Parts: sequence; C-alpha cells; structure tokens
Amino acid sequence: MDAEAIRMLAAGLAMGLGAIGPGIGIGIIGYGAMQALGRNPEARGPIMTNMILAIAFAEAIGIYALIVAILIAGKILG
Amino acid sequence: MPKRRYLGFSLPVLVGIIVVILALGLISLLSGALGRSFFGDIGLPGWLSVPQPHPELPADVVFHLLGFPITNSIIAAWLSIIILVGISYAVTRRLKLIPTRLQSLLEATLGWLLSFCQEVAGEKNGRRFFPVVATIFLFVLTNAWLGLVPGFGSILITNAEGETVHLLRGANTDINLPLALALISFIFVEYWGISSLGGLRYLRKFANVGRFFRGIGQLLRGRLRAGLTGIFNGAIDVFVGVLETLSELIRIVSFTFRLFGNMTAGEILLLIVAFLAPWILALPFYGLELLVGFVQALIFAGLTLVFATIAVTHHAAETA
Repeated sequence: MDAEAIRMLAAGLAMGLGAIGPGIGIGIIGYGAMQALGRNPEARGPIMTNMILAIAFAEAIGIYALIVAILIAGKILG
Repeated sequence: MPKRRYLGFSLPVLVGIIVVILALGLISLLSGALGRSFFGDIGLPGWLSVPQPHPELPADVVFHLLGFPITNSIIAAWLSIIILVGISYAVTRRLKLIPTRLQSLLEATLGWLLSFCQEVAGEKNGRRFFPVVATIFLFVLTNAWLGLVPGFGSILITNAEGETVHLLRGANTDINLPLALALISFIFVEYWGISSLGGLRYLRKFANVGRFFRGIGQLLRGRLRAGLTGIFNGAIDVFVGVLETLSELIRIVSFTFRLFGNMTAGEILLLIVAFLAPWILALPFYGLELLVGFVQALIFAGLTLVFATIAVTHHAAETA
C-alpha cells in the first residue's frame, strides 16, 4: 500500500471514528434535556442554556477529530 | 369576498414564483460538478460553473506593513472592527430618549447580552463580566457573519510576491484569532478570580498543599493516625490541584480549536457545496453557516462567562 492510499484511509478513519463518540454524547445530552423539559416545562430557560453548553463541550471533541483529518489529508501531518 | 392570498401573493403568482425557483435550482444543479458528472457537458455558459476549490489552512499574505505580514484574515478582522466601532460611534453620538431604529437595535442587543450575563453570573458579577463577554460575542459574531458576505473568498489580488491571493477571508478561519481570543478569555478569568477572592486564596486552588504539610507535621509530632490521614488526603488535594491547573491550560486549546474548527469546516463546506451545486441549492448551507456562526459566538462568550463564575465563587469545602 503506498503512502497516498494510507493517507486517504487515515483521514477517513480519523474523522469517522472520531465522530462516533460526540454523536452518541450529543444524543444522550438531548435525551436528558427532553426528559427534564417534559417533567418541568417551566424550567425551559435554564434547561436549554445548560443543554447548549453541554452540547458545545461534546461537539468540540468531534471538531478535534476533524482538525486531525484535515491535517492528515492536507499533508500537513504525516 | 377577498381573494385568498398565499404569503401575500395570489395563487397564480405563487405558482409562477415556485416554478422560477425550481427552474433556477435545476440550472444550478446542472451547471455544478454533480450535474456535469451525471449529464456531461450540455453547453451551459462558462460563467455558471465554479472552479474546484483548494481550501488551505494558513492565511495568505497580502502585503507587508512595517515588517509585519498582513494576511487576508487580518484585513477581514479590521473590517469587522471598523463596522462595530462605526455603528457604536454613530449611535452614541446623539442618544435620544425616544430611540431611532439603529439605537434601539443596539439597545436590544446589549440589553439581551446583559440579561444573559446576569442570568448566568448573578447581578453584580454579571455587570462586571459584561464588557469582555459582550465584546467577545460581538466580535466573533461579526467575523463569522461577515465571512458569508459575497466578496469574501472571491476577490483576487496580486500581492508583492506576484501570487494571486484572495483579498478577504473570514477572520475566524485563521487559527491565530481564536487563539488570541482564548488567551484573552483565560487572562480575564484568572484576573477576575484573583481580584474577587484575593491572590493567594485563588491560587491555592491550584497548589493545595496545606493539608499535606499539616499531615506531615502531625506525623512528626507523633500522632500516627491523624498524620497518615492528613498525608493521604493532602496527596489527593495536590493531585486535584494539578488536574485543575491542567484543565485551565487545556481550556485555551479547547476554545481555540472549537471556534477555529467550526468556522474552517463551515468555510470548506460552503466552498465544496458551491462547487457541487452552485446558486440556489447552496442557500440552505448559508443558512446553516449563519446559525453556526451565531451559536459559536454564543458558546465562546457563554463558556467564558461560566468559567469566570466558577472562578469567583468561593471554594465550597476548603478544609473538610
């Protein structure tokens, strides 16, 4: 396998595998927020604010994987 | 009986508008790369097709000023500074009791930001954190939305070395700007913590060696059991202190890459969608980019606010 092929494979794997965790995490956060909202619709403000905050943390991990994929595919890394 | 109006138009006009939009969408699909790979070259005019994008991460240098290379993202950042300062100056030059439209827009924005700060941080601290947090929010938002205006990424200019580079590029896509904002946010959070709690007490969060040394002291004085528990708990405290320090520093990296990654990924997405299906079919992605810009600005400012609030609240259990 030559270097180009492995580079393509590495970029794809980096992004693909790196998106599993954040995807599931954001789903779980949304599930918790929906449950909380269903129990107490009046607390919509704090629930939404904290949900957005938690989603930002989880999404940042996915962005790190994207950065690595871009660096590998753009020949800046490896 | 008045005729039924749909969205303000009568039915034939609405049908006509939808047909025109669908036709433009079809032309846009055919002229892009997707259409060309399905249907081949059917002879659409050359100005309808978009060249293949070559996204590159470091920003291109446009000219040199006093020995500093000025990149196209710096020019875009200057443009958003000019816009923000210009609007603020024009509005506050003559404040009226019954506000003009621009003044009420600015008042609504700042009022919403102030209530957001006070909701998260409490009243006094909210007002105290408001200037920096609001500045970060407005600057990131203006940079993000300005990058969507036509002209960004399409105006070409020949720089001093003779290369053809883009004149303007979204300022958040250069990694230096998110890094600078993350450093500013870090410095301000530490400053607020130190000025609220007092220097030594705040820094003790990171180097919590009190209990450890007290444990050693008790051991030397002969109280074995108290000494050993002191040393054990003290060791845990020191370890937690190291973790806190690391998490403060990792926060800088995390802020930087969150903003940079979202903005760069958005820019590359827009370039590729414009290449695949230009014109009408790229519009939903512009809407997505508007939303992402707003959310990322809110996240950056909001996280700064949350970490500042954590930094100024007193430690719940200092000596268990």
